[in-house]
Parts: sequence; structure tokens; C-alpha cells
Amino acid sequence: MTTQITQVPTTASRVKGLLKNQQFILLVVLAVMVAFFSLKNHIFFSNAVFANVLSDWIPVVLMAIGETFVIITGGIDLSVGSVVGFSGVIAAFAMRNLTAHNVGQNETIAIGLLVCVAVGAVIGLINALLITRARIVPFVATLATLGAFRGLCIVTTGGGPVGDGPDSAISLTVPKYGPFNGPGLVVVVLVVIIGFYLHKSRFGRYTYAIGSNSFAARSAGINVKAHLTKVYILSGALSGLAGFYLYLRLSVGSPSSGQSGELDAIAAVVIGGAALAGGIGKITGTVLGSLILTTVTSGLIIIGVAPNWKQVVVALLIAAAVFSQGLRNWTKGGDL
Amino acid sequence: MASASTSISASAASSAEEVLYEVRNISKNYGSVVALDNVSMKVHAGEVVGLVGDNGAGKSTLVKVLSGAHRPDSGQVLLDGVERTWHTPHDAIEAGIETLYQESGLAPHLSVSANVFLGREEMKKGLLGKLGFLANKEMDTKAFQDLKDVGIAVPESNRAVSQLSGGQRQAVAIGRSVAWASKVILLDEPTNHLGARQAGEVLNIIERVKSKGFGVIFISHTLPHVLKVTDRIVVLRLGKIVADAPTSTFDAEKLLGTITGLI
Repeated sequence: MTTQITQVPTTASRVKGLLKNQQFILLVVLAVMVAFFSLKNHIFFSNAVFANVLSDWIPVVLMAIGETFVIITGGIDLSVGSVVGFSGVIAAFAMRNLTAHNVGQNETIAIGLLVCVAVGAVIGLINALLITRARIVPFVATLATLGAFRGLCIVTTGGGPVGDGPDSAISLTVPKYGPFNGPGLVVVVLVVIIGFYLHKSRFGRYTYAIGSNSFAARSAGINVKAHLTKVYILSGALSGLAGFYLYLRLSVGSPSSGQSGELDAIAAVVIGGAALAGGIGKITGTVLGSLILTTVTSGLIIIGVAPNWKQVVVALLIAAAVFSQGLRNWTKGGDL
Repeated sequence: MASASTSISASAASSAEEVLYEVRNISKNYGSVVALDNVSMKVHAGEVVGLVGDNGAGKSTLVKVLSGAHRPDSGQVLLDGVERTWHTPHDAIEAGIETLYQESGLAPHLSVSANVFLGREEMKKGLLGKLGFLANKEMDTKAFQDLKDVGIAVPESNRAVSQLSGGQRQAVAIGRSVAWASKVILLDEPTNHLGARQAGEVLNIIERVKSKGFGVIFISHTLPHVLKVTDRIVVLRLGKIVADAPTSTFDAEKLLGTITGLI
């Protein structure tokens, strides 16, 4: 945003501008974290660790990107972690069956991918129907599906992992391109495309409009219910994709996959600068927020801090993000 | 005021033949509550009609019927003399009736041009447009020009609405209605929560809008604003129309008495 009065930008005003830019602050936080962990233990600054951080990041960013759309509309999707678990389990059953019937590995994996995305999309649709038709608030509607589908993970599997799928699945998640593996690169491209879509398309514009003022959106002729339905389906489908990635990584469908994933997703979005009240949020923020989360998790383990401290660090990051947001709103009178 | 009201009523008389928008014998009940009881009113092209009444008189219900948000239990809605049925506000919008609601009709996090074009976005040319990508620069330029045409100067049309003053926001909201309306503009309490100077600017915009040949229905509690800007005043009391007369026949005291039923 440019200011109304034209003035020559001084170094001081440039610095001020950067400090008000949430993305820049997040980038600094990430750089400081990498430097800190690397100084504490030089092993952290290695391809192997970066590959591990990125592999942890893929499912989190997929859930968080869908969550960003939902949160911008002023809603919330608590079911994303359960979608990861349930879609992975159902796809694992499908792939086990196909493998038992000697279907080719590539075909089996492709079908597994479609099953995951479809299961996620269907759960997203259920969320949307609960919210737009049964008029249940998003928090409660998705809390219900969180519980229901986590329960179904256990019921369908008996609590154990579902294996005997295609053997080549796990090799797909081995780092091939620097710290990236093949599916990871595909996800990066997908995230970039979705980012452009949120910020430059009519679909994105309506997502912001609904979260900013749903009354205004409705009176402008936007079909709010239909749009929300698409947004929750998108969130479910992306979480299904995350479920597929975790299947590949473990080579089994684990009923506990994605457990508490919703908390990571929401934390990533909030650290990224989105407001739970709706109307505000950026994909770049969510990408950096989720990267910071996974960096903290790996970093703490590598420098020998008990992993439970992660929750404390994440809590501090969320508090700092929300505080800085309030500060910027206060100084700017409520900018984006 | 006196000379202005004479010329206004003269112009209203000259366009008496062109009834633009009309409701006839409208009734609407909410359970046992009678919100509107056999209400008829009309607006001509180039005319500003004030719709006033106490709280609970039925103003909001009538606005909702006029804007297509509610369907009446009985009665007719006519646009250009043709009977119409609005199933949704969108039907009314498509027919050229724009409504500025009492609650803000703007999305504060979106830019001025995004708000002006909300629901009617222009897409990029070619494949990108087909994929749903927006022509933001073109919309910014057009929004700036459209607002300028009705005398609204906004610093930049890519600025977020939340950064504008209350008066500027209301001006943008009205500008948006004017930019899209082809026939009728309903303004529900457009000067509410505005300071004297800002309200004055909004009233000036309404004068300009009227001169462009729109039919304007102005709903307000602020009687001096109603007396200043309207050509004719319709008074609702307990769901019925108790007065429908040229503004020149009212003064503040008489209007207040008609609204409250003390005259």
C-alpha cells in the first residue's frame, strides 16, 4: 500500500516498511532459527536434515494451505488431521487389494492418490453441508468430523497399520533433487499455483470478500453457500493429498497419521499472519509459518531439547504473531 | 430551500408519466405481526422519494421487498409498468435496482475497486481469464473513473476500504450503487454515523445521482436530510402509509407529527 502523500522514501522509512511486512519478519525468524540450530549443532546445516525438515513440511503445508482458504472466509477446519489419517487408511486398503490382484505398482499408486483426494473431498463436502445446510458453526461441525473420522480410522483398521501395498511407494519419498523428493517438488509447484489462485483469481477474491463481510458478499450477488462448499472441499482434498504423502513416506496407512495435524495447520496459518476473524491471510505467510513449525520440531530434537518443548515454542510463536498483528492494526488503523 | 423545492416539484411533475418503480397493495406478515398492510408507493425517473417512519413502522420490510430480499405475502411489484417477481436480491440487481443497505455493504479488507466490482469482476483476456484470473489494473482504472463521474474522489482505488474515513466509505458504497444501477437506487440510512460535513457530501452525491435520471428511494431517520434532498416524502406508520406528498408541503414539525401520529 502506498501512502496518500508522496514522499521520498528514506532509509528509515524503508526499514519501517520492512518491519511492518509480516512475510519479511517470518523470513528473519526462520533464518535466525536455522542459524541458531546450526550453531548449536552443525549437523543441522546438512542436506539430510533439510530433506527431513522438508519431508515433515509437505503434509503440514498441504493441510495449512487449505486451512488458509477456510480461515480467510472466517471459518475453521478442525478435521484436516483426521482427513489425513482416514484418507491414508482407505487408500491403503485399496492399494493392498490392487496389489493382491497383481495390478501394476504405478497404477496402484495412481489409484491410491485419487482415493486419498476423493476421500478428503468427500469429508470436505460433509463439513460444508453441516455448515451451510445444517447451519452448524464451522468449529462444531468440523470438531464432529474430526472425532468421527479419527474414530473410523481405528474402527476400520483395528488400530494397526495397513500395509502390503506397492513396494515402490516408499522410494518416492527419498530425496532426489537436493533436499527435495519428487512428490515434494510437485507439492511446491502446486502451492505456488494455489497461491496465485488465491491472490489473483475471482475465486480468491470471493474467499476474502466472504471473510471480510459476508453480508456484503451476499448482497453483491455472490453465492456464499456454494463458495464455502468449494472452500471446504478444497481443504479436504488438500488434506487427502497430505494423507497420501504420509502413506508414501511410511509405506503403510497408519490410523494415527495426521493426529493433531489440525493444530499444526492452524498454528502455521496464524503464525503466517492470517486473522481467525477472516478477511486476512496470505499463502506466503502460511508457507513460511509451516516451515518455521517444522524447523522448530527438527531443530529442538537435533540440539537435544525434549520434543515436548516444541509446543511451548509454537505457543510463543503464535502469541508473537498475534501480538505483532494487533500492533500493526493499531499503528495503521486496520490495514490488510 | 423554498426556491429549490419549487423547482424540484416542477421537475417531479414533468416526469409524472414515467413511473419507474412501483409497489401496489403490498402486505407482509411475520407470524401474527403485520409488518406491511396494503402499502403502495412509486418512484419516478429523476425523483428522490424519502421513506420515513418510526422504528417498527415497516421501513426495513418495505426496503427488503423493494430490493428483492423478501417476497411480499400479497401485492404487486412493477418495474417500468411490468409486473416482476424477485426471487433473490440478485434478480432485482440484474433488473437495474441497486440497494445500499444500512449495514455496510462493503468488504473492508478489499480494495476500493474490488468492492466496486464485487460480484461483477472483469477477467483477464484469453486463457488466464478463462481460468478465473482477474483484470485488476483495468478494474482499478475503471473504478476510479466511475467514482469520479459521480463526484467521488478516492485517493487510489487499490487502497483497502478499511483505510478510508467513514464518509469516504459511504461515498464509495453509493458510488458503487450508482456505477451499476440502471434504474433505481435504494439508500437505507446512508447518512447514519456520519459527521455533518461527510453527510453533506453524501447528500450532494444524491443530488447528482438524481440529475442522471435514476429513481432514488432515500430511507432515513434524519429528518433535516430528508427535507433537504427529497422531492416527495412517504410516511409509514404501523405498517401503513399515512402520508405521500411533495416535500414542499412539509416542514420539520409537520413531518415529525405525521411520523409519530400526533398530527
